[in-house]
Amino acid sequence: MLRRFAISFSLVLVCVCAGARTRPHYGGSLRVEVAGDPWVGPEGLARRLVLDGLTALDANGFVSPALAVEWQSDSGDHRWQFRLRQGVHFHDGSPMNAVAVVMALNTACSGNCPWTAVRAVGSAVIFTSDSPMPNLPGLLAGGMYLIALTRTADGQTPANPIGTGPFQFTSSNNGQLTLTANESCWQGRPFVDEILITGNRPTREQWLDLNVGRTDIAQVPPQELRQAQQQHLAVVVSPPVELLALQVSDAGALTNAVLRAALAQAVDRGALFNVIFQKQGEITASLLPQSLTGYAFLFPADRDLNRAIELRGGLTAPRFVMMADFDGTMQLAAQRIALNLREAGFSVQVVSSPSSVRPDLALLTLPIEGADPAAALETLLRSAGENVPVAGRNPTALYRAEHDFLDLKTLVPLLDLPRAWAIGSRVRDVRLRADGTPDLAGASLEGTQ
Amino acid sequence: MSLRQKLLLLFSLTVAAAVAAVAWTVLVRIRHVFEMRDQEETALFVSQFQREFQHRSQEVAAAVNRLAASERARAMAFELAQSDDAAAYLTEAQSMAQDAQLDFLEIVGPDGKIVSSAQWPARFGYPEPAAQNASATPFLKREDLPDGSTALGLFAVHAVGGTTVRLIGGERLDQGFLADLPVAPGMQIGLYSDAGAAASSGPAAIVSNPSTTTTFDASRLLGANGSLPGATFYQSLIDAARTSGQQVNGIVNPTGRREDSLNATAIPLKNEQGNVMAVLVVAIARSGMVQAQQHIRAIAYGVAAGGILLAILCSLWIAARVSRPIEQLALAAEQVAGGNWDVRVPPRGRDEVSVLARSFNHMTEQLQSQRDRLVQSERVAAWRELARRLAHELKNPLFPLQLTVENLVRARELPEAEFDEVFRESTATLATEIANLKTIIGRFSDFSKMPKPELERIDAKDVVERVRALYETAASRDAKIKLTVDVAGAPMPLDADPELLHRALSNLVLNAMDAMPDGGVLTISAHPKGDRVELRVADTGQGMTHEECERLFTPYYTTKQHGTGLGLAIVQSVVADHAGSIAVESPAGGGATFIITLPRAAA
Repeated sequence: MLRRFAISFSLVLVCVCAGARTRPHYGGSLRVEVAGDPWVGPEGLARRLVLDGLTALDANGFVSPALAVEWQSDSGDHRWQFRLRQGVHFHDGSPMNAVAVVMALNTACSGNCPWTAVRAVGSAVIFTSDSPMPNLPGLLAGGMYLIALTRTADGQTPANPIGTGPFQFTSSNNGQLTLTANESCWQGRPFVDEILITGNRPTREQWLDLNVGRTDIAQVPPQELRQAQQQHLAVVVSPPVELLALQVSDAGALTNAVLRAALAQAVDRGALFNVIFQKQGEITASLLPQSLTGYAFLFPADRDLNRAIELRGGLTAPRFVMMADFDGTMQLAAQRIALNLREAGFSVQVVSSPSSVRPDLALLTLPIEGADPAAALETLLRSAGENVPVAGRNPTALYRAEHDFLDLKTLVPLLDLPRAWAIGSRVRDVRLRADGTPDLAGASLEGTQ
Repeated sequence: MSLRQKLLLLFSLTVAAAVAAVAWTVLVRIRHVFEMRDQEETALFVSQFQREFQHRSQEVAAAVNRLAASERARAMAFELAQSDDAAAYLTEAQSMAQDAQLDFLEIVGPDGKIVSSAQWPARFGYPEPAAQNASATPFLKREDLPDGSTALGLFAVHAVGGTTVRLIGGERLDQGFLADLPVAPGMQIGLYSDAGAAASSGPAAIVSNPSTTTTFDASRLLGANGSLPGATFYQSLIDAARTSGQQVNGIVNPTGRREDSLNATAIPLKNEQGNVMAVLVVAIARSGMVQAQQHIRAIAYGVAAGGILLAILCSLWIAARVSRPIEQLALAAEQVAGGNWDVRVPPRGRDEVSVLARSFNHMTEQLQSQRDRLVQSERVAAWRELARRLAHELKNPLFPLQLTVENLVRARELPEAEFDEVFRESTATLATEIANLKTIIGRFSDFSKMPKPELERIDAKDVVERVRALYETAASRDAKIKLTVDVAGAPMPLDADPELLHRALSNLVLNAMDAMPDGGVLTISAHPKGDRVELRVADTGQGMTHEECERLFTPYYTTKQHGTGLGLAIVQSVVADHAGSIAVESPAGGGATFIITLPRAAA
């Protein structure tokens, strides 16, 4: 009897403890460190926490409702109507309505919008366009079209970003952003009370802070994944969500498409992949990864230096300027590409700061978002500044669209890269979004009550 | 140029030449001494440079050796030897270079390709020939950099732990290196290395081809404090050193002022293959030498000027002592030549010039006395000749006179009719011979009473025409002589006595007619000859011998049977009174020409 009681008691105790362990706790400050500015760019970590879009990508990359609960198109996708979620308020208490959404969208994309016009009609937002917008819901999930309050109740422009997200902007001091939990978030209150995001922190120092417990989440660049694993950091890695590409101008000497083709043939992706990015990601010559489209292998990725030299022929090209981020890895990759191009007879100077003149070449990363190839393709192209609507949705049409675009040789895909984050021991339930950023709204901290 | 001026010039040139010779010798010597000193300083500096270079080489080699021997490098080399994966060590070289304080470091894998490069991280995977070919000794190498520039470095290669993984490490040879070198005052040093943009074709060419000589770039000549001042002026030296591979010396003048010029030496620095990697320039200021030369030159100019001044003073003194007496002598000689034999030169002192003066005076005295004696003897001779001639002339008519008187005395004894006839013949003979006597005496009287010429402006042409008019008809009619006249068309003015000149010319014409008893051609001509007028009377007679020509103008000399011999003497006297001359030519074939030359009157 006594033994039976003891066993039963032990089992109950174990169950209670286990249940207690899997249940997240509210409270605590989640500390995050990133290498860049957390607010800059559509993929900025802080933006995603403070702002919502009309739609969002779920964990599997599919479009799901966010501020809009449903949507429909007509007129051959020339017109879309999005019905807004009710009862959603901005962080300052003002209601999120169609007017505010329209104002936010007009501010967010000035000039290069997928739509021709957007207007508020009751609690709906109507998008119209001269050309079909079959991928509009997917596009609206992108970081470019997040909804931020543009006018406060008293008609002023907010000094700080105000959104409807799970966290609201509180302060920014000495490079550290403080976001506090939105108690009345339409998605539900996040578990942590606040998130402290420190930007412009070098990766090694982030890891150091992680090791000593000064931060909870640190960035792991793809080329340092191996090292992070060697250092036994808990790393979460996304599938390829970034395309490393070489953008080639079509102005000046590069108006000549043959020269652009020579440049494309001269790049050695293998060296970039094997050495610089430490075999993380995938070599690619297509815009979307193989896992998304299934036809990426049809684009040859091997370097053909002889062909490149042949295409250049006797042309004497001027010295090209290649711009790359100040980031060390990007600079290294750019230098390597410059060396490759030099072998083909091109002279290239790598710069890190933008100038008033558009550079001849630019090494950049483009987002690969979502599970919808068409939407992902259009989002990627828009990110590159290419206004190329993607009408077809079937693989053949998409392949044709990609092929036709890549034939212009104004964008040379190089690598598909993942994003990775090192997670501290007290952080739980950190999942990565479709864009590779951590979904901190659902994260919690151990040891908090 | 007078003697005085010549002496002055001679003295001045002597002084100037002497001073110039001395100054030139001193200048050359000074330049030589300074150049020797510069060469010694340069050689000393070069040896110091080589020592420092050696020291740096050892430091680099030691640093690379330490790295290669480190546990970290060994582990890396082992890993690289075991696996093909060099990606993990992409940034290893940067880290190791930082630790070892090297400016350059490359890790080269077993396949000879770069695993990691500190100075150019993107060059992984490219071959590094230096790793294979370099010996154990440090070497110079030009290293290409990502920004397109090149840097000169001192490199060493070492294998890691006996593996085939090599480390190539190096330090820059830049102005920092130069700053550590001991530099003497007035010395400038610079290091020139070829700029060489990274090659545009092929990975092998990315390492600058050492044998390619690029165009000179002044910005690549660095001193201890940055760019060397006046770098462009070193171009020729540096290019020569790069081309020839030998040390080259020369003078560089950055500012154009001689004081700022420099004695420069360009020393090529070569790698193991003998290619020139860089040129070390050592320049030593020549200001000291230039200043010394200028000082000496100034002294030389001063001494020369003083010497010339002294020469002027000396020449003035010498003129007083030497040239003036000589000038006096020359003047006196000129006067003597002009006919003034009374001039004397006062002798001063006892030197050669005074001896010459005394001799001159004695000579002129002798000449004067001899002339007097000659005149006297000529007078005596002339009187004797006159007496002889007179006796000869008078004797001829006197003898028939005597015979005639004797005939008359004897004819007194003859009958009256015969006496009358003898008386008539004798008186006729007496009258003829007395007339002859009167003629002879008249000629002598005329010759003794030759008037002084009364000069007036006449033309030679008129004189000739007058003679022609007088004798032409008679000559052709009586003597069958053709008289021709050849007169120049231009005026031939003469300051002469027309009567005396007519008389002289008439005598010559008569003599010429007498010389052609069987006829001939008599030519009278008058032509200007420069500042003189030449009158010629030529005949085609039998001519005269040379001896006859010489004696022709002697009074009373005649070749004619009858004549006093005074005609040509009168001609000669007239010509002499007109400051002219007379000559005779008689070629061997016959004929004779009398030539009267008279001064042409001024216009």
